[in-house]
Amino acid sequence: MTAPLLSVESLCVDYEQRQAAVFGSRVKPLRAVNGISFELSEGETLGIAGETGCGKTSLGKAILQLVPPSAGRVLWRGADLARADAKTLTHLRSELQIVFQDPLSALNPRMPVGEIVAEPLRVHSPDMAAAEREAAVADMFERVGLRSEMARRYPNEFSSGQCQRISIARAMITGPKLLVCDEPVSALDVSIQAQICNLLRRLQRETGVAILFISHDLSVLRYMSHRVMVLYLGRLMEIAPRDELFENPRHPYSRALIEAIPEADPGRGPPDMAGALSGEIPSALDPPSGCVFRTRCPIATPECARTPPPGESVSASHRVDCHHWRETRSRPRHLRIR
Amino acid sequence: MPPLLEIRGLSVRFDVEDADLHAVRSLSLDVAEGECVGVVGESGAGKSQTFLAALGLLAGNATADGSVRFQGREILNAPRRELDTLRGRRIAMVFQDPLSGLTPTLRIGRQLEESARRHLGMNARQAREEAVKMLETVRLPDPERCLGLYPFELSGGMRQRVMIALGMICRPDLLIADEPTTALDVTIQAQILGLLAELRRDANTSIVLITHDLAVAAGLCDRIMIMYNGRLVESGSTQEVFGAPKHPYTSGLLASLPSLATDPATDLPAIPGQPPDALATMRGCAFAERCRHVMDRCRSERPVLAAHEGRHTAACHLLSP
Repeated sequence: MTAPLLSVESLCVDYEQRQAAVFGSRVKPLRAVNGISFELSEGETLGIAGETGCGKTSLGKAILQLVPPSAGRVLWRGADLARADAKTLTHLRSELQIVFQDPLSALNPRMPVGEIVAEPLRVHSPDMAAAEREAAVADMFERVGLRSEMARRYPNEFSSGQCQRISIARAMITGPKLLVCDEPVSALDVSIQAQICNLLRRLQRETGVAILFISHDLSVLRYMSHRVMVLYLGRLMEIAPRDELFENPRHPYSRALIEAIPEADPGRGPPDMAGALSGEIPSALDPPSGCVFRTRCPIATPECARTPPPGESVSASHRVDCHHWRETRSRPRHLRIR
Repeated sequence: MPPLLEIRGLSVRFDVEDADLHAVRSLSLDVAEGECVGVVGESGAGKSQTFLAALGLLAGNATADGSVRFQGREILNAPRRELDTLRGRRIAMVFQDPLSGLTPTLRIGRQLEESARRHLGMNARQAREEAVKMLETVRLPDPERCLGLYPFELSGGMRQRVMIALGMICRPDLLIADEPTTALDVTIQAQILGLLAELRRDANTSIVLITHDLAVAAGLCDRIMIMYNGRLVESGSTQEVFGAPKHPYTSGLLASLPSLATDPATDLPAIPGQPPDALATMRGCAFAERCRHVMDRCRSERPVLAAHEGRHTAACHLLSP
């Protein structure tokens, strides 16, 4: 087997949180990402699931070196990105691109959208002739489903779905090998979400780009991903191939997330969370001892408060961080009923 | 017996830069006692403006025409004094963003007690007891302590519970919940939906659930109204609308929604194009440009929603060839 495209090893991201104290203020570290490891291959989509504050956005940004990792390594084709000098990193950025959640705020309102899409080419291929660049932009517009004569217009003349297409065009124009998509459809209307999902999947088929797909919506995540990783309070709970994770989740938190998905199926009633999880997400400033999920976990034992669970392998491709994963055998609700 | 809420021919127009923006276009709907109605549509469909108009909460540049009757009484454009006897007491509203729905400078307890004292005529001690009871009902941990907290000290899920407690403290006949779970995480969303279902069962409150999320509506509602471009395009029981949708927009939405049963190997059947502009006035069907069954007639003649008798109906020419 060849070396993976991207390999993340025990990655940590810390933010400094200033807190009021008796005299002045003190700085308290907030660990947003805590010891995450995984690999990603060419043409693969890895879905990152989790709720507010689980570290999914920080993880995506740290991989792209948009926030500095405080520990661990990000290896791109075997080379450590944190050690790359500024010039190499700039060069590598043509291979590493990102699409943000809010498409309108991700686009410069004072720039015609054609210029926005051309900008990465100016940076990464400065020698390209203007005519060639224009042709590349026009081609990219067609590929994301926009008419090339729209290039002269400004972002405010487009709907949010079209703005997301422009964001995707800007990200894809340098022919990236990795695309980080941070909640790319969450801000869009329901009828537009499916269009963008289809577009991303088609671009992946055409170019073989690997995608890190970050979403809180598990139905969308399941549809988009080959493998899925579940995060909670900065820690990896479970990672497995898509069908394995949705049909045989071994972490109680993965199960709870899956059971919480409302389905457009009348007569079923709202998701019943009793017995799946309780309470709310604790503050990341003061995470629980041992297993971070234990305060909401239906099967937590005193052991969970003492020691963080070691990562264990359910199978070669399925890893779970839970002391009691062997006991969580019953199938999620959507499979039991069907 | 007349329905609890009866909306007839409601139109809401906004006056924007020498143009008229039609947010709601001659809409009619009923909410019966003890019923939960889901009003579903995408952004700009007019679902929130319909109910803001009913409660007299429209922005200054908006005008509302038509009729809104609550318990048989006309309330559209009613004087403020009359509305004040209904709002908060008989009809309560829960908004999407619980942080902006609560007063940031007042403690939770004060906000809950104010409602009980003003509308129910309780004294300070009774109001406090009632507030504690309400926070227990919405399962806020440690309600006594919560009364002393400010909204910013609570998490999003806890704030939404407080909003619901605030809405329910006077035991209203109608609770209008406008995207109550949209800002929340999935596990918290499931908890809040469970809570609404329980409140309805225990207090027999009618609920209008305004949402863009078909799946959320399916779990909670008896009847579903689908809105598009300011109009009602389909209405029926939840079973009927989800089981056998009649309007191509409804079936398109349902098909394009990835679910846990979707085959990841196939493309999602997306609806092409995008929702029309509320500024535009169309002669025909507003969905015609995106519809795969479009006929010549659709562009020239607007389909009407068949008479309102609680039956499953849709505004589409396919149904009346």
